[in-house]
Amino acid sequence: MAFTPRGRGGARGGATPRGGSRGGARGGFSGGSRGGFGGGARGTPRGGGHGGARGGGRGRGTPRGGRGGAAGARGGAKVVVEPHRHAGVFVARSKEDMLVTKNLSPGESVYGEKRISVDTPSTDADGAPTKTEYRVWNPFRSKLAAGILGGLDDIFIQPGAKVLYLGAASGTSVSHVADIVGPTGNVYAVEFSHRSGRDLINMAKKRTNVIPIIEDARHPLKYRMLIGMVDAVFADVAQPDQARIVGLNCHLFLKDKGGVLVSVKANCIDSTAAPEAVFAREVQKMREERIKPLEQLTLEPFERDHCMVVGRYLRSQS
Amino acid sequence: MAAVDYLLQETSVGYGLYQVVQQPDTIGNRLKEVQEATQDLARFGKMIKLVSFAPFQGAAQALENANDISEGIANDHLKALLEINLPKGGGGKRVVLGISDKNLASSIKAAFSSVDCETNDVVQDLLRGLRLWAPKLLKQLQDGDMDRAQLGLGHAYSRAKVKFSVQKNDNHIIQSIALLDTLDKDVNTFAMRVREWYSWHFPELVKIVNDNYLYARLILFIRDKNTLSNDRLHDLVAIVNDDAEIAKAIIDAAKVSMGQDISDMDMENICSFAGKVVSLADYRKSLHGYLVDKMSIVAPNLAQLIGEVVGARLISHAGSLTNLSKYPASTVQILGAEKALFRALKTKGNTPKYGLIYHSSFIGRAGAKNKGRISRFLANKCSIASRIDSFSDSPTTKFGEALRKQVEERLEFYANGTAPQKNQDAMKDAMDAVLADITVDADEDNEEVDPEMADIVKPKKSKDKKEKKKGKSKEKKEEKKEEKSDKKEKKGKKDKKDKKDKESKKRRRDDEEGDVSEKKKSKKEKKEKSKA
Ligand SMILES: C[S@@+](CC[C@H](N)C(=O)[O-])C[C@H]1O[C@@H](n2cnc3c(N)ncnc32)[C@H](O)[C@@H]1O
Repeated sequence: MAFTPRGRGGARGGATPRGGSRGGARGGFSGGSRGGFGGGARGTPRGGGHGGARGGGRGRGTPRGGRGGAAGARGGAKVVVEPHRHAGVFVARSKEDMLVTKNLSPGESVYGEKRISVDTPSTDADGAPTKTEYRVWNPFRSKLAAGILGGLDDIFIQPGAKVLYLGAASGTSVSHVADIVGPTGNVYAVEFSHRSGRDLINMAKKRTNVIPIIEDARHPLKYRMLIGMVDAVFADVAQPDQARIVGLNCHLFLKDKGGVLVSVKANCIDSTAAPEAVFAREVQKMREERIKPLEQLTLEPFERDHCMVVGRYLRSQS
Repeated sequence: MAAVDYLLQETSVGYGLYQVVQQPDTIGNRLKEVQEATQDLARFGKMIKLVSFAPFQGAAQALENANDISEGIANDHLKALLEINLPKGGGGKRVVLGISDKNLASSIKAAFSSVDCETNDVVQDLLRGLRLWAPKLLKQLQDGDMDRAQLGLGHAYSRAKVKFSVQKNDNHIIQSIALLDTLDKDVNTFAMRVREWYSWHFPELVKIVNDNYLYARLILFIRDKNTLSNDRLHDLVAIVNDDAEIAKAIIDAAKVSMGQDISDMDMENICSFAGKVVSLADYRKSLHGYLVDKMSIVAPNLAQLIGEVVGARLISHAGSLTNLSKYPASTVQILGAEKALFRALKTKGNTPKYGLIYHSSFIGRAGAKNKGRISRFLANKCSIASRIDSFSDSPTTKFGEALRKQVEERLEFYANGTAPQKNQDAMKDAMDAVLADITVDADEDNEEVDPEMADIVKPKKSKDKKEKKKGKSKEKKEEKKEEKSDKKEKKGKKDKKDKKDKESKKRRRDDEEGDVSEKKKSKKEKKEKSKA
C-alpha cells in the first residue's frame, strides 16, 4: 500500500500556485525552518527570493499608489491575493504571506482575526473594481490551516462541498471552512459543549451555510434528521475514542469514497505512549472503520504531537 | 433472515415511507452489491418505491419530531403515516420495516403489534441510499428545500439544547442604564424650566418644596394659587407625603403670594408641561425598577455587591458582562476614569484611585486615607462577582452577599481594627449556601449528561476559592508593603501581578472549554509575541 507517514518535509514540489521559485528546497508554502508565519522569529533568510522571480510585475516592489489607494486593510501595505492550490483557499502576499479565506459575511470578523480587502478588477471593460474581503486564517489556531500549510495533498473541503465537522468548538475553524465551501456548500458543525455551542450558534447566524448541531458526536443517530449525505468528514474532537466516533458518523452520513480528515492529538488519546505509536494505532483503527488512509502529516511547528490523518471512506470495498 | 418490506426515511422536511420492490440479495458478501446499487440512482430507484411522504407542517412540528427522533420516540405524526400506509397485519401476517435506530424500533413495535423492525446492515445501506438521493426521490421538494429545512431545524434544535436564555441578555441593561442617565438629565432640565415658569405665578412655592417631582405634582394640583383654600388642605396633605405642616405652609404662602396673576390659557400650558415632567419622572421610576429586575437576572451577584445602578454602569462601560468579567480587577477599579489614568501616565502623576465604582456607597463611607484601599478591595470583589455571574448557569446572590459582607468587614477593619472573617471561611460559607440550594435540583440539571461540563463544575469552584484566597493574601502583603515602600514601585509590581492574574484566568477559561490544547496554543502564541 502506498501509504507512508511523512513529516511535513516530504519533497513535494510545485505545490504552490506560484510560478517563481523561492529560496526553500521544497515548493511548499511555509518553506522556512519554522513558522515564518504568524509573526514568529524567522530563522531562514527567505526574504531573498521573494519578490524577485514573480511573473506578473505587479508585485510589492512597485511604488505605492499605482492602483488607486492601497488595498491593504493594514497600514496601506500592498497585498496581493492569489488562489491556493486548494480551491477556496487563498494566499495573501504582503510583507508576510498569509493563508486567507474569502469572507462570507464581509465587514465582520468572527474571533477578532484580521481582514484584508482587495480590489478585484471588474470583469467588464469599464466597470469599477469590486472589493473582495478575506479573513486571515491563523495556523496556530486552526489545525486545518496548519495542515494546509504543511502541504496536505487533498483536503476534500472545497467550494460546494458538504462537510460534517465534528468538534466545532466556538466555530473559529468552522467559519473558515464555511468560507471555503461557500454559499453552495454546507457545514454541519457538531459540538457538544454548551458553552462553546452558544458561540457556535451565534457565528452560524451570520453564515447561513453552517448548520449548528449541539449534540454528542458519539450518538450520530440523535442528529440524523438534521443532516444529509456529506462529501467529507472533518474531526477534531480530541477524545480517546475519536476513531470510533469518526467511524460511526461516516457509516451514517459520509458518501462512499468521501474524504475523512482527522486531527489526532497524541496526548488526548494516550499520554503515556510515544506519539508516533499513538498515530499508528489511530490509523489502524480508522482502517477498521473502512477508512483507507491516504496521508499522515504532523502539524509541527504549529502544534506539538499532533497529526492530521487524511483518508477515504470506502464503504463498498471491504 | 426476513426480507425487508418497507423503509422509513427521516428527513428535516418530513417522513418518507418506501416499499422495497426488489428484494436485495443478502447472502454472503452480496452486501457489496446493495452498496453499489445505492450509488446509482437508476438502479436504486428500481429497488424501492415511495409509498407516502408526510411533510412537517411548520417549524414547530419539525422540531417536535426531531426531538422525538433523537430520543427514539415515535411521534404521532410518524404513527399516523405508518397507520395509514402499512398493510394491516390480518391473519398473523407480519410486516418488516427497516429503520436506523433500535430505540425507535421498540417504540414502533409498542404501537404496531404486527410490525417488525429491522436495523441490520442491509437496511443501513438501503437507508444510506435514501439519504443520498432524498432530494431526488421526494419529487414534491424544490431545490434547496431540504437545505433550508436542515438549517432552520439545526438552529432550533441546538438553541433549545443550550437553553439560550433571552432573559440573560445584557444588551437591555446597557440600553436601559443609558436611557436612565439621559432621563435623569432631561427630567432635571425640564423641572428647572417648570419651576421658573410657575414661579412667575407662585414664587414662594420653590422655597417650600424643593423636590422637582413633588413640585410638578403640586402645580397640577394647585393650578391657580388663588383657588387654594383651606378646604383643599386634606388633599394637599396627601400629595406632600402626609406632611400637614408643609401643606399648611403652602396654603399660607398662596394667600400672601407676591406672584402675578395668570390667564387660563397660560396656566393650561404650564400644567400640560408639568404633566409631562411628572409622567417622565414616573417613567424613570418604572425604568429603574426594570433595571433592578434585569440586573437580578443577568448579574445578581454584582448587583448585590455594588448595587444595580453602579453594576449596570460597569457592564455598560465594559460593553458586556462577559467583557467585564475578562477585565483584571485593576481595570475594573479605574473603569470610567480612563482619561485621568492616561493623563496621569503621561505626566507621571498619581493614577486615579477609582472610576465608576466611586459611586458605590462603600467608597464614601471610608475615611479619606482608606478610600484608595477600599476601592481596590471593592474592585477585586466586583471582578470576582462579575465572573461568577458571567460563567455560572444558575443565578444566585449568595456570593454577592458574601462579598458584600467582606467589604463591610474590611471597612470596619479600617475604621476600628476589627479583624475580618478569613476569606477562605467566607467563601466556604457562600459555597455551602449555594450547594445547599443546588442539591435539590442537581439531578435535573445534569439530565442531558454533559460529561465535560460535569467534571468541570467542582474543580472550577474550588479553583475559584483558591484564587480568591491567593487574591487576599496578596492583598494583605501589599498593604503591609504600602506602609513601607514608596507608592510607585508598588504600582509596578501590582501591574505585573494583574497581568499574571489575567493569564491564569485565560488559561482556566480555555480549560473550561475542554480544549486543553488551546492552553498550549495560547502559551505558544505568547511566546511568539514576546519574540516578535
Ligand atoms: C480541539 S477542540 C476543536 C477546535 C476547533 N476544531 C477549532 O480548531 O476551532 C475539540 C472540541 O470538540 C468538542 N468535543 C469533544 N468531544 C465531543 C463529542 N463527543 N461530541 C461533540 N463534540 C465534542 C469539545 O467540546 C471541543 O470544543
